[in-house]
Amino acid sequence: MIKKELELLVALQDLDMMISDISEVKRLGFEAEGEDNLLKAREELISKISKSLLYSYEKLKKHYKRAIVPVKEDNTCLGCFIKLPTSLSTKGRADSEVIYCEGCGRILYWL
Amino acid sequence: MKAQELLKYFNEDLFILDVKAKNKDELLAELVDRFVEKSYIKKSDIVLEMLTQREKLGSTGIGKGIAIPHGRTTSASEVMIAFARSKDGIDYEAIDSKPVHLVFMIIAPPQDENNMYLPILGKIVEILNKSKNRKTLLSIESFVEFIDFLAEA
Repeated sequence: MIKKELELLVALQDLDMMISDISEVKRLGFEAEGEDNLLKAREELISKISKSLLYSYEKLKKHYKRAIVPVKEDNTCLGCFIKLPTSLSTKGRADSEVIYCEGCGRILYWL
Repeated sequence: MKAQELLKYFNEDLFILDVKAKNKDELLAELVDRFVEKSYIKKSDIVLEMLTQREKLGSTGIGKGIAIPHGRTTSASEVMIAFARSKDGIDYEAIDSKPVHLVFMIIAPPQDENNMYLPILGKIVEILNKSKNRKTLLSIESFVEFIDFLAEA
C-alpha cells in the first residue's frame, strides 16, 4: 500500500518538475502547449494520495525545490548526500512505510 | 556547453542502431526497457508514465526525422542519454508528420550536478539542427564512430 502511494507521489513530483520546466523547454523550441493535460493528470494523482502524505509533500516542496529524493544503492541521500543508517535503508527498501531523511527531512525513494 | 562535454552522458549499453519499434509507444517502451535491462533504472512504469505525460504536453518529435523524448524523474540518480536509430522510420506523431529516424532519450534526476539537464537538451537540439550532422548520424555504424562524431560536432 505504502509502496503504491509512494510511487504515486513520485509520479506527482515528476509531473511538477515537468510543469516547472515548461518555459525553458519551450525556449529550446519544443512544443509544450498541453499544460492543461498535465494539470488534469495532477488533479487525478492528488485524488489517489492520502491527505497527510500530500501535506508533507507540499510542505517540503515549499522548503526545498524537490520534496522526494532518490537514494542510491550505497544508501546515500541524493538531497543532502549523507549516508543513511542501515536500519533506515532496510525499512526503506521494504517499502512498508514512508521514510524521511535524517539529515534533510526529505521523503526518500530507494532506487 | 561544448559537444565534447556530452560524451560522458552516453554509454554503449544505451546505444541502439536498429530499434524494433514502429510507433511512439513501442519506442518509448523499448528504450525504457533498455534502461531497466542495463540496471540504470529500477522500474520502467514510473519513467514510462513521465515520458507519456511529457508527450501530452506536445510531441517531442521535433521534425526532420528527429525525436528527443526527455524529462526529469525521481527514479533516476544521474543524467543518462540513450541514442537509437530506425532505418525504416517510426510513426512518432512528429510536428511535421514525418517518420522519425534519430532518437535521443534524455532521462534526468530531480536535481543533477550543476543542473546540466536543460543545457544538455539544448546542445543536442543545436547539433541536430545541422543537416550534415543528421546525415552523419544516419550513416554511423558503431558506438566508437558515434563518440568520434560527437567529439567533433
